[in-house]
Amino acid sequence: MLETLPVFHQTPNKTWMPRMSFAPKNTAPRGDTLVVVFLRGAADVLNMVIPHGEDAYYQLRPTLGIPRPDDSKKMKEERVIDLDGFFGFHPNMSPLLESWQNRQLAIIHACGAPDESRSHFKAMELMERGVDDERGPASGWIGRHLATLNTGNSSPLRAVGMGTRPQRSLTGSVPVSALRSIADFHLGGDQQALQQMRAALNYVYQNDELGQDTLSIMDTLQKLDPLTYSSPIEYPDSEFGLALKQTAMLIKAEVGLEVSAIDLGGWDTHFTQGSAIGIMPNLMKDLAEGLAAFHADMSNHMSKLTIVTMSEFGRRAYENGSLGTDHGHGSMMMVLGGNVDGGKIHGEWPGLAEGQLIGPGDLAVTTDYRDVLSEVLIKRLNNPATGDVFPEYEPKLKNILK
Amino acid sequence: MSLSRRDFLKLASLLSASAALNACAPVYRELSGGLPAVPWASLSAADFTALNRITFGARVEERARLTEIGLVNFIEEQLDHDAINDLTLDLQLSNFKTLKMDANQIEGVTNQIFDNYDRERPAHELRQATLLRQIYSKRQLYEVMVEFWSDHFNIYFEKGKEFFLKTVDDREVIRKHALGNFRDLIWASAHSPAMLVYLDNQANVKGTPNENYARELMELHTLGVNGGYTQTDVMQFARCLTGWSVKEHFWLGDFVFKEKQHEPGGKKVLGLAIPESGQREAEQVIEHLALHPSTAQFISAKLARRFISDNPPQPIVERAAQTFLATRGDIKSVLRVILLDGLAFTQPKYKRPLNFIVSSLRMLNAETDGAALQDHLLRMGQLAFNWTTPDGYPDTSGAWQGSLMPRWQFAFELIRNEIPKTKHDLKALLDVSSTGSLQDDVDSLASLLFGSPLERLTRDGMIATVHSAGATEEETLQVIAASLIASPAFQWR
Repeated sequence: MLETLPVFHQTPNKTWMPRMSFAPKNTAPRGDTLVVVFLRGAADVLNMVIPHGEDAYYQLRPTLGIPRPDDSKKMKEERVIDLDGFFGFHPNMSPLLESWQNRQLAIIHACGAPDESRSHFKAMELMERGVDDERGPASGWIGRHLATLNTGNSSPLRAVGMGTRPQRSLTGSVPVSALRSIADFHLGGDQQALQQMRAALNYVYQNDELGQDTLSIMDTLQKLDPLTYSSPIEYPDSEFGLALKQTAMLIKAEVGLEVSAIDLGGWDTHFTQGSAIGIMPNLMKDLAEGLAAFHADMSNHMSKLTIVTMSEFGRRAYENGSLGTDHGHGSMMMVLGGNVDGGKIHGEWPGLAEGQLIGPGDLAVTTDYRDVLSEVLIKRLNNPATGDVFPEYEPKLKNILK
Repeated sequence: MSLSRRDFLKLASLLSASAALNACAPVYRELSGGLPAVPWASLSAADFTALNRITFGARVEERARLTEIGLVNFIEEQLDHDAINDLTLDLQLSNFKTLKMDANQIEGVTNQIFDNYDRERPAHELRQATLLRQIYSKRQLYEVMVEFWSDHFNIYFEKGKEFFLKTVDDREVIRKHALGNFRDLIWASAHSPAMLVYLDNQANVKGTPNENYARELMELHTLGVNGGYTQTDVMQFARCLTGWSVKEHFWLGDFVFKEKQHEPGGKKVLGLAIPESGQREAEQVIEHLALHPSTAQFISAKLARRFISDNPPQPIVERAAQTFLATRGDIKSVLRVILLDGLAFTQPKYKRPLNFIVSSLRMLNAETDGAALQDHLLRMGQLAFNWTTPDGYPDTSGAWQGSLMPRWQFAFELIRNEIPKTKHDLKALLDVSSTGSLQDDVDSLASLLFGSPLERLTRDGMIATVHSAGATEEETLQVIAASLIASPAFQWR
C-alpha cells in the first residue's frame, strides 16, 4: 500500500476526505461562536452549585458540605453564596456572580446523560459522540454539527480544539485542528528557509486537507502575536486561562472561528477533594476566574457568543471515607452568553432525600444534556438538524436561550 | 548475568568515556552502533509494515535481519527477548541510579533536607531511560510491550508520592512481566504501591470504602467496561480491597495489608462468594478476574488494536482470546497469534507522537541522550507517565490527528541538528547506500523512511519544488529530508 506514491499516502481515514464529503443539509449564516468547556473527570457539581436549602445535603456531606449562607458560626468566606434562596455558589465560584447578576449565566442542574455505567471513559465517549450507546456514528456531535451546516465559512479555523489533541466531540468529516499555543505555531528559521520549508510541505501535503489547513493556519497566526495581544483583562495563569485567551484572540481577529473546544481536567476527586479550600476548590477557582475573565474580555461580543460547560457525570451525593466523592450520576451545565435566560436555575430538582436519589445514592438526571445543546444548535447556531447531531434523540427544549 | 572479558573491556571503555550519560558523543555512537555496514535494499510494503509494528521503527540492521531469516523467525527471535544481548544499552543506563532503587531508597536520595524533595529526578531518569530503550534496545518487541502495558496500567508520575513509587512499578510490574504471564502481571500491579496510591486505595478503608481502584481494576485492567460487572460488584470488590495499602514509615513505600482497616465479613463479587479471609479476599477476586473470558477478550482486542488495526478482524481477536484462556494468560502465546495471524491484515495506524519521534531517530541512525526530546513529546501530548487518567494514552488513529505543527517543528529541528545532544549525519548515512547524486540520496532516504523509494515523478517534482524556492543542493537534501519526515506518509505506520 505504500508502493506507489508514499508521500501522499492516502488512507481510508475520514480526515483525508474532502472538507465537505457530502452536501450539508442546511445553509444558513453562521450564528454564535460556541465555546464548549468539558470538565473531565466528573465534576462534583453538588459542591459547585449547592442546594443549601436541602437538609439532606448537610446530612450526606458532614465534612465536605459548604455551610449555609446564613450559618453565623462560620466565616463568611467559607459559606455558600446564595443565588435564589435554595441554591448557591461555592465561594470559589464567586467570580461568576457578576455574569449571574447580569442574567447572562444560566445553570441547568440535575442535568446529564442516561448512561449509568459510572465509567469516565464510556460516559465521556458517549457524551462526546452524542449517542446513547455503542451503536450510532463514531463521529462527534460538534463534528456532525459542522458537517450538516454550510455557513459559507471555509476557514481552517472553523473549529479548534485547544490542547495537544482534538477533542472527540470535534471529529467528523470536517477537518479540525488542535491548537496548543498560538505563540508556538511557526516553523522557525529565516524568511528564506521558511519559504523552502513551506514549499516542500505544500508539495507533500498537496492532497491533504489537514496539512493544507495547517499551512493556512500558520499563515494566519503569523499575523497574530499573543505577546502583543493587548487586553486589560487578566486571565488565570493556567492552561485553561490560556485556552480561553487564545479563543478570545481568534474571535477578535475574525479568522472564522465557529467552535472552540476546551478541556479542564482533574475533577476525579475520590480523595481529599477539599470543601472550602483544596484540590477541587482550586479547580473551581480556575474555572470561574477563567470564564469571568473571558466574559469581561468579550463583553462587546456577547450577543454573538455562547459558552457551555459540561462534565461526563456527577459524583455520589454522600461523601466517602477519604474526604472525597465516588462516581455518581446527575451533573450540571452552565450556559453563558448574551442571549441566555440567565440568573436562573433551570431544570427540575429531583432532591437529595432518601427515595429521591438513584442507584448507590446519586443525583437523578431530569434534563438530558442534549436538550440543552439542541437548543443552542437551533437558537444560536442556526442549525435545525438536531436529529443528525443527536441521532435517535428527540430534544425537549427548556427555554434556556432567547 | 556474568560479564565476559569483552564485555568487561567495553564497560571499562564506557566508564572512562563518560561518568554521566549527558556527556560526549562517542557514548551515543556506541548506542546507535555507528553507520550501517552494508547498503539497504527496498522492502515489500508488507514486510516494512510488519517491522514497524514489531519495532518502534525499522533500523537498517533490523531490515537486514528480517530479510535474512524471514518474518516468522524474526518474530520468534523478538519474542525470546531474554536471549537478545542488550549489554551496551544496559551499561549505559546504569548511570541512572534511581532505576535500580527501591522506593525507600528513592525517597532517601530525593529527600534533600527536611522533606524538601527533588521530585523531578526519578521522573527524569525513568523518562530518559525509557526513551533510550525504545530507540536503542535490540529487544524491540519487548519494549513495544512495555509501552503497551505502561498505558494499560497507566500511572501518572506527578500524583502525590508517585515520584518515589512509579520507578519501582516500572521495574517490578511492567518490565518484569511485559512478556510473561498476565495473571502474574495483574497480581504484581494490584500489589504495587504505585498503583494503590494512584487509584486512591490507601484511602479505601473499613466503613468508608473508596471505589476508585476496584472499579478501574475491572473496567480498565481486566474485564473491560462491557465485561459484565455491575455497580454492586464494584462496591463489593472495593470492600475486599479495604486495607490494601502502602507503608508510610519503616520500609516506606512497600505494600502492606492493614488488617485493622479491612472490612470484616464475607463478600460477593461477580457471583463468587468470598468468605472472610483478609488479604486473600481481593486476591481471590483478582485471580478470578485475571483468567475471566471477558478479560481474555478485552486484552486480546486491545493487543490486536495495537498491532493490527483500529478495528482488528474479530476472528483473530477470538483466536487470541482462546489462546489466552488455554495458556492461562501467557502473553507470548497470545502475541504469537496476533502477530503471525494478524500482520497480514494490518491497516494503516497513525503514529502516536512517541512512535513518530522514535521511528525518525531509529531510521536516521541518530544519536541522542534522550533529554531534550522530552519537551517535544510534551508538546505533542505524549510525555511518558504524564497521562493523568487511568485509561492511558489513546491508541486509535483518530485520537492523534489534527495537530501537525509540533511534528513539523520536530522534523525540521531534527534534520538541522538543532535538538540539544541529539545528532545525525544524514550525508554520511546516505553515502552507505547512495552513489551521492541528489536523486539517489533522496531514493536511499525514502527507502529508509518508507521501505522503498518514491516514484520518480514524485521525487523529481519534490526536488524541483525545493530548488525553485531558492535552495542550494545541500539545503535541498535537508529540506526534503525534513519534509519527508513531516509528510503524511511518515505519520502512518
